[in-house]
Amino acid sequence: MSKAPNMPKSWREETKPHKFCPGCGHGLVLKALGQAIDELGIQDRVVFGCDIGCSLLSFDFFNVDSVQTHHGRTTPVVTGVKRARPDRICIAYMGDGGGYAIGSQHLVNAAARNEKITVILANNCNYGMTGGQMAPTSLPGMKTETTPYGRDPEVTGYPTQGPEMVSAITREGAYVARGTVANVRQLKNYIKKALQNQVEGNGFSFVEALSGCPTNWSTNAKDTWAFIEETMPKYFKVGELKAPAKKEE
Amino acid sequence: MAEKPIQGEKRVFMTGNEVAAWAALAAEADIMYGYPITPQNEIMHYWTRLSPKFDRGFLQTEDEISAGFTTCGGVLSGKRAFTATAGPGNTLMQESMTMAEMMRIPLVCVVQQRGGPSTATVIYSQQEATMTCYGGNGEGFRIVYSTSTHQELYDYVIKGFNTAWTYRFPTFVLGDGYQAKMRESLHIYDPATKGINMVATEPSLGLEGTPGVDRDPQHLRNTYNTEEELYEVVSELVADYEKAAPEIVEYQTFDTDDAEIVIVAHGIVTRAAQAAVKELREEGIKVGHFRPITLRPFPANELKEIASKAKKLIVMESAQGQFDRMVKHAIYGLTTPIEDYFKPGMGITSEEIVEYVKKGM
Amino acid sequence: MGSDNMKIMEAYVGEYASGKSEIALNRALELLKEGRKPVTLVDLDLVEPFYTLRPIKKELENKGLEVIAWETNQTIGLGEAGCIIKPEMRWALRKPGDVILDIGYGVEGAKKLNLVEDAGKGLKVYVVTNIARPITGTVKDIIEYVKTLGPVDGLINNSHLGDDTDLEIIQEGAQVVTEAAEILGLPVIWTTVEERFADQIGEVDVKGNPVFLIKRHMNRSFW
Repeated sequence: MSKAPNMPKSWREETKPHKFCPGCGHGLVLKALGQAIDELGIQDRVVFGCDIGCSLLSFDFFNVDSVQTHHGRTTPVVTGVKRARPDRICIAYMGDGGGYAIGSQHLVNAAARNEKITVILANNCNYGMTGGQMAPTSLPGMKTETTPYGRDPEVTGYPTQGPEMVSAITREGAYVARGTVANVRQLKNYIKKALQNQVEGNGFSFVEALSGCPTNWSTNAKDTWAFIEETMPKYFKVGELKAPAKKEE
Repeated sequence: MAEKPIQGEKRVFMTGNEVAAWAALAAEADIMYGYPITPQNEIMHYWTRLSPKFDRGFLQTEDEISAGFTTCGGVLSGKRAFTATAGPGNTLMQESMTMAEMMRIPLVCVVQQRGGPSTATVIYSQQEATMTCYGGNGEGFRIVYSTSTHQELYDYVIKGFNTAWTYRFPTFVLGDGYQAKMRESLHIYDPATKGINMVATEPSLGLEGTPGVDRDPQHLRNTYNTEEELYEVVSELVADYEKAAPEIVEYQTFDTDDAEIVIVAHGIVTRAAQAAVKELREEGIKVGHFRPITLRPFPANELKEIASKAKKLIVMESAQGQFDRMVKHAIYGLTTPIEDYFKPGMGITSEEIVEYVKKGM
Repeated sequence: MGSDNMKIMEAYVGEYASGKSEIALNRALELLKEGRKPVTLVDLDLVEPFYTLRPIKKELENKGLEVIAWETNQTIGLGEAGCIIKPEMRWALRKPGDVILDIGYGVEGAKKLNLVEDAGKGLKVYVVTNIARPITGTVKDIIEYVKTLGPVDGLINNSHLGDDTDLEIIQEGAQVVTEAAEILGLPVIWTTVEERFADQIGEVDVKGNPVFLIKRHMNRSFW
């Protein structure tokens, strides 16, 4: 079966084209994830869990065993799988609402317990699937359906610093990074390192991906990219926050 | 491979929570996920003491939401996984239980009811009957065994795993704080010596072979696009549940053949009801007792039959009518008078039942 | 009575549901019956104080026992907490007269003694054992268990099956507990037996250990 050019081997062609909105960042994050799975040769071992919210549209995205869970509950479901089947490479995929709001206790505690799973979180500064409400990651002044006059940090706080938090509460052996769909090659490398960290059994791994939501941002292609490339990094610093020490060669 | 936790059969003396842990061990449960809450704690305490000796797993989660969902993950991985909870923990766990209903995840959950609403008491009630049977945004596609003795706790925890894996509905063993903490003797046994074979488990995720190459991938979901699509799925659940129900339903009757007064009670209250019936019969009073063992599915036809011949039903429970609603729903259409004896969060003794029955004559 | 060298201080430790409270209680009442006064019974079951002596505290006090335990009306608001120590519990051994401590189980229940002042000074620690509890069902299990407790002064055979107890289980317990005690180099203080077996068992058990006849009180806390 020949696949379209550049389509990762682990993608499921039968479910393409995918269901995300045009210009949505999820496709790029999942492309990076697909490439990382391919390069590590772990497709036969991956168990993929996805949240509710737009991330649920990935439930049949890959040729890997997948389960769609509830909002915020992907981390515990995937943790349950990993604890029952330590030989599997378990990935929890979610958005910023699922990871930083309704499921934050699961993220915090999975990280603190150093669960040997990989959490990949798409940060697009809002709740996409429910129609563009404020998310923990919405930027100060950002207009959303529930902050129609702009997010006022005095009232609703500042954008959640997810990787910084995870980095602070994990031990050595954890891998924590923030990538962006504006640099898919780098994002793929981060995700690959995160998965490699799980393969080696070092500990928890977490990658946040800055991602775009033109539908709810109401932005054209140019403005979408400007927001991702210029505005978001002012609040969310791209780079690796924590990586296990290199093993002796 | 570690040796069997129980060889043959053995007379023992212990508390209900310990019984649940031993039963899960004997039933070859692979892993428990749980979060501390009184009065179920010793299930976890004994599981964590015993499980490493028999190569079984345990994870203490951050809350009951997580305990329920990790249990779902364990079962989806093909493991005989279980959890236990009570009260506000049971409330938090309902979300995951609806996922188990929808996705046919055969988990087992032991509930040791405590007082409610809210934090209330850590001690006892039958106030989690409605929630355990029908909690969450669902239709109650669950199996709920309401036990009354330590022997039953042992028997039904083992049976619960097999019922769950046979019919693939989440299965609850509904105990209470009294059962959890009181101590009495029972026989514990290796199920095999009783001819009980544990139903084989199978994974839904993490199957062998490369998906897309050797086989299709598993793409499991619980969300649907349209009313029609959901309706089809739920209708299938309804049909499966209704087909399984007659095979699952269990109840007991005590002197109901010629009973003019029938006491209807479940769980530990059946002990008092049984004792009261015995005493009242000795005085020549025609009283009987009907006790559903399964609250879901409910033995509606069996109760209706008995109720239709009685002059009066007395529904007794340590809650404000949760069980009563199930009874009334089951016998709808009959004109037999029903009296309610509700003591939310309080135990009911045989002495007070005897007194109540006599007073009403 | 009451001179310091005569003061009896005993702590009953043991596995969960092994019968610690029952024996501590019977021992305290026995001392009272011998005319010793005051006798203080301390409920140090920090694991679940709301399930143990609480329901019968008043009744015991009416019998002349001093009881340090939570009362129902004091527990309101404590709700979940199974782990609260009353200040009087800490100083209990300094009370005049005999003091009997009922210690809860927990993973290291005996360590609760660290919470009690003067516990090192003349306090005898006895391990209550029931072989009908599978976790202490064999000689090997008992030895393994007792070794986790730290220094103790003797074992008590409290093997029974509640209402279904028979002489067989009591005597089987005597055999097993005595064998474990010999290996541990500890005495068997008593075989404790419900009064209804008095005629059947006599003054000593099958291994010659003294029999202490007890009454069951704890089973009257609801079920």
